[in-house]
Amino acid sequence: MKTGSVLKHLGGPLVAILVSGLLTSLLLLLLGESPQILWEAFTSTFFNSFGLGYTLFYTTPLLLTGLSVALCFHAGLFNIGAEGQLHLGAASIVGVALLMPQLPWYFAVPTGILSSMIGGALWGFIAGFLKAKRGSHEVIVTILLNLIGITFVNYLILYPFKNTQVQNPETLGIAKSYFIPPLSSLTALFGSELFRTTPVNFTLFFSLIVAVLCHIFLFHTAKGFELRALGQNTSAARFNGISLTKNTLLVFALSGALSGLVGVNEVMGFQHKLIEGFSPQYGFTGIAVALMARNHPLGIILAALLFGAIHNGAREIEFASEKITKEISILMEALLVILIAGNQYFITQFNRFFKRGPHD
Amino acid sequence: MIEILASSLRVATPLIFAAMGGFLCERAGVATICLEGVLLTTAWTAASVTYFSHNPYFGTCAALVVGALTMSLHSFLTVRAKANSIVSGVAVNLLAMGITPLFTKLLFGSPTNTEAIPLNERMAPLALVYLSFLLPLFLHFIVYRTTPGLRLLAVGDGPHALETSGVSPARVRYWALGFGGAVVALGGVYMSIAHASQFTRDMAAGRGFIALSALIFGKWRPLPTFLTCLFFGFTDALQIHFQSSPLLGTTFPVQLLQLFPYLITLFVLVGFIGSAKPPLAISESP
Repeated sequence: MKTGSVLKHLGGPLVAILVSGLLTSLLLLLLGESPQILWEAFTSTFFNSFGLGYTLFYTTPLLLTGLSVALCFHAGLFNIGAEGQLHLGAASIVGVALLMPQLPWYFAVPTGILSSMIGGALWGFIAGFLKAKRGSHEVIVTILLNLIGITFVNYLILYPFKNTQVQNPETLGIAKSYFIPPLSSLTALFGSELFRTTPVNFTLFFSLIVAVLCHIFLFHTAKGFELRALGQNTSAARFNGISLTKNTLLVFALSGALSGLVGVNEVMGFQHKLIEGFSPQYGFTGIAVALMARNHPLGIILAALLFGAIHNGAREIEFASEKITKEISILMEALLVILIAGNQYFITQFNRFFKRGPHD
Repeated sequence: MIEILASSLRVATPLIFAAMGGFLCERAGVATICLEGVLLTTAWTAASVTYFSHNPYFGTCAALVVGALTMSLHSFLTVRAKANSIVSGVAVNLLAMGITPLFTKLLFGSPTNTEAIPLNERMAPLALVYLSFLLPLFLHFIVYRTTPGLRLLAVGDGPHALETSGVSPARVRYWALGFGGAVVALGGVYMSIAHASQFTRDMAAGRGFIALSALIFGKWRPLPTFLTCLFFGFTDALQIHFQSSPLLGTTFPVQLLQLFPYLITLFVLVGFIGSAKPPLAISESP
């Protein structure tokens, strides 16, 4: 890709970020808070070891759900079921880890990762199956599967997997062999204190590899081409012998597996148990991430970093400010989604306002 | 038993309002997954305006306006800005989830809830329960028997046909969604100033999505949707009942009962119990 085309791709999202930052600043003024805290939050999420650690920790699940949504988008399908899929993925890890606590770590870690993928893939597959075989609209099906999945996982947390020693709604802890070490253990080897006491762990590297694999799969394999062909023009693709049914099943299972991996970051990398309500809408934010990156797997890495930073920055703002709560991150996400979803309209209006043609 | 029935009505009322509002929006051919967000903004508005004006009718009127405005943001994004209706719905939901705690904190100092409203300044829950019984009949009449209603159905099933008869589909959709938002607002009003005395964070707790399921289960028709809401209310009331009094001496896992409405909606959707086909314009637009 040439520099010019990279700039062209980044231009739109950058403008959206600037505009949403501006709107958020205005809102902060309205709420009686100095917009300066936005800048302070931004610097502290990137430019100190603790802040960066948390930013990267939140980047990991958003990267995975973003990829999950984007993969379906490429095939012309809308997966808003990432939230349910990641719940199932996380619960599968706990289930497997509680069943087989004695596994040595070199079996335990792959087993945990695999079980999260299978749990998520199964949940995605159901949506794909109902779409492909019964013709139900995938959006409504995934909304329902979200509700069912989350309620079911909450049941698992409160009954079969419950840690009865504590009051909190959380499961028993998983065995040590399933733990994925934090990145601070790596930096400590070099005598550095980077990321100390932050939960960012090796799942980050793993998910970066997954993003690259997704890129290769989508743009450099025949199967990826088939998916994209179906997404671009379903009837033309089918006319050329590409099976809609098989590919719908495949892409939903793959998307589910990607979402399921969120559980690895949360359960194996951080909490070492499953807590009710562990996901602050990672699945829905994944939609914003995919949209921001126009479904490009490598762009999703950047978009996930941005949304991870927003999420973490909002916590900093809540900490630093008397008036603002951490939900400001959700508001910023909403603004970004609105700006990007209606970008064509906003661009034409902007041009018309300054008396220019739409293509000048 | 009477207690369970009474409590199912209480639980069903916000669902009915939300589902009826959703009925107007979806039959106009705009996929509306943002009922949840509209419930949140309107419940917040009703609670705050009532608290400061000491008058529940001001609160209700303000909520109706905010409901219409919130849904109009959705219609602006989908109709005018040509955004994908699912994406727009997600945006409106996120906006509502983000903005309500911020303003709660601003006005009441705590992000989790607004100040409690004294009993004599609240709406009478029964009035809204009765209204929720009349509303489906009223909407049935309006939509199937009057010109604006038939235009709404037409724009949902074939906007181009309507255009050839000289009616602007966009305008019909603006009105349908604005009106639909106001109807959903009644659900928000019921939640925050009739059933409860304050707004609490994430008060809607998925009701918007359950209402959407009821709409699908009722196959996008007002009267079956209404009955579905009552039925969902009943299962929820059962679950609340078993939460407090154990069944046959054992603590029944209520989460499994909560699954029930979703599961049967899924079965309907999948075509095991009849078939549910959305308005044509929804299934055609991406």
